[in-house]
Amino acid sequence: MIWQIDLIVLALLVPCAMAAIALKDMMSAAITFGAYSFLMCLLWTEMGAVDVAFTEAAVGAGISTVLFIAAVHHSRRRVAKRRVGRIVFKLLGLSAAGAIGIILLWAASDFPEWASPDIPPSRHLSPYYITKTLEDTAVPNIVTSVLADYRGFDTMFETSVIFAAGMAVAMVLRRRRGREERTGRRVENGFARESPIIQTICRLLAPFMQLFALYVVAHGHHSPGGGFQGGVILGASFILLALAYDLDFVLKRLNEKWTLILANVGVLIYASIGALALLLGGNFLDYSVLSRILPATTPVMARSHGMLGVEIGVAITVMAIMVLIYANIASNGKYDKGL
Amino acid sequence: MILDTLTIVLLAAGFFFFFATTIGLLRFPGFYARMHAAGKGDTLSSLLMLAGLIVFNSHHFSVEALLVDLKIAFIMVFILMASPTATHAIIKAGYEAGLVQWQAEEEGKHDLAD
Amino acid sequence: MEDILARYNYWIYVLLMMIGLYAMIAKNNLYKKVIGMSIFQTAIIVFYVSIAAKEGATIPIIQGAHGAGLVPAIDPAVYVNPLPHVLMLTAIVVGVSTLGVALAVILRIYRQYGTVEEDRILEKLR
Repeated sequence: MIWQIDLIVLALLVPCAMAAIALKDMMSAAITFGAYSFLMCLLWTEMGAVDVAFTEAAVGAGISTVLFIAAVHHSRRRVAKRRVGRIVFKLLGLSAAGAIGIILLWAASDFPEWASPDIPPSRHLSPYYITKTLEDTAVPNIVTSVLADYRGFDTMFETSVIFAAGMAVAMVLRRRRGREERTGRRVENGFARESPIIQTICRLLAPFMQLFALYVVAHGHHSPGGGFQGGVILGASFILLALAYDLDFVLKRLNEKWTLILANVGVLIYASIGALALLLGGNFLDYSVLSRILPATTPVMARSHGMLGVEIGVAITVMAIMVLIYANIASNGKYDKGL
Repeated sequence: MILDTLTIVLLAAGFFFFFATTIGLLRFPGFYARMHAAGKGDTLSSLLMLAGLIVFNSHHFSVEALLVDLKIAFIMVFILMASPTATHAIIKAGYEAGLVQWQAEEEGKHDLAD
Repeated sequence: MEDILARYNYWIYVLLMMIGLYAMIAKNNLYKKVIGMSIFQTAIIVFYVSIAAKEGATIPIIQGAHGAGLVPAIDPAVYVNPLPHVLMLTAIVVGVSTLGVALAVILRIYRQYGTVEEDRILEKLR
């Protein structure tokens, strides 16, 4: 927590945000938004939030930028000239933002001081989590233990939210080939010739990326990581291959049917572990009763193993949904050719 | 003591190359020269700074420090492979889009009395 | 009033939030609205993460827990507050899901109307 670095990065964030919404070229706006996400990730690492920064680096700076560029590729690239009459909306926006900003700043006088150890959020529940997580669950990473064990319900429904988002994207965009589309001027479509350098390097890197993703999932108990980050890196390895080669290259290996099946399997694993705990006589998602069927584990270690099983389910779902969303957006629903 | 000096030397060299990269990015004319500076300078300075971190971490020599050093070495190999490839991809995209190399103007164009 | 001036970091968070809110209201292009929504989300996340920070504290992974046996008494002031981190992990992932759905809806609108500018879409709707 070096506040000088924090202030410098925060001061750099504001021009990045303003540029991202003011640029007239959408590709530049998407890349500036990616730079904004990277600066945020740096800021959170410096404030001690390593899990959050890991997720933002994988999801926000990686996947978000790729999705933006893929979406802009299929529609217009330049922001059109504004017609007269937008001044009302600008004034409305400025006055609304200004009024809410003033109210929030007035409320900021009640907020705690930055980085002092005895503010109300750090005094009531989190000391229990910090002191008791090692003897309750034998997992040193407090964020993972709270996410997958103490607050396991939230994570289960978060996984189902990711699943629902993937289904929504598929339902909105998916269509058969051959239908005519009513569009205006399309963006220039000069598909670059294939480059053997990029293809070779990406083909060499992809298995190591997947191995690293599995390491992140499995080692999430002892280091920053966990199900989400590992799943996003797994999905990103497929997206990298789709960018280097063609979308067909990935769809031959992980076709649409398997992404849908894997997305279902992940949420099913999570809910099944909870139901298994229910069948064994405990509460829903109470992993300590799993020690009755796992050989030679104490209830404390059974909680650690239950968390690993749950994280594996989350990783499978997140990987499948990332590939599904990318395939739909990059091919505009037709699944024939990508970016 | 030697490790300290080595760390400072490596980090300072990395910082110097980063600085040179930024100046090159701002001052070079044209797309290709700028990407040339950015691609090579970025890779080299990242590798130097990571090497400095490896030396810094080896102060208290133990198995955990060795494991962390190994992981930083893996990151260095990854950056060595991926960053020049990314630079190649950007420059190739610019070439296929038709950007031309910057040419210096003729000497006589700037005279007022012509 | 002095309190407000002393908490200078909240100024920047509020400024980022209001940039995002302004973009969502006043911008014409649908993509710009979606970028504004994302900026708003990340500004709220940085607000929560800054509440969790503690002076001189380390990351919320218990040190020395790799070997066998329990560590001695753990002092909560040594570790950063992990609870807002957990909430923000969920927030980031839900945010990217929302971004994916928003981009899919924009592509569908473009397929249907041929434009992503709000005023031209409203003209075509009338």
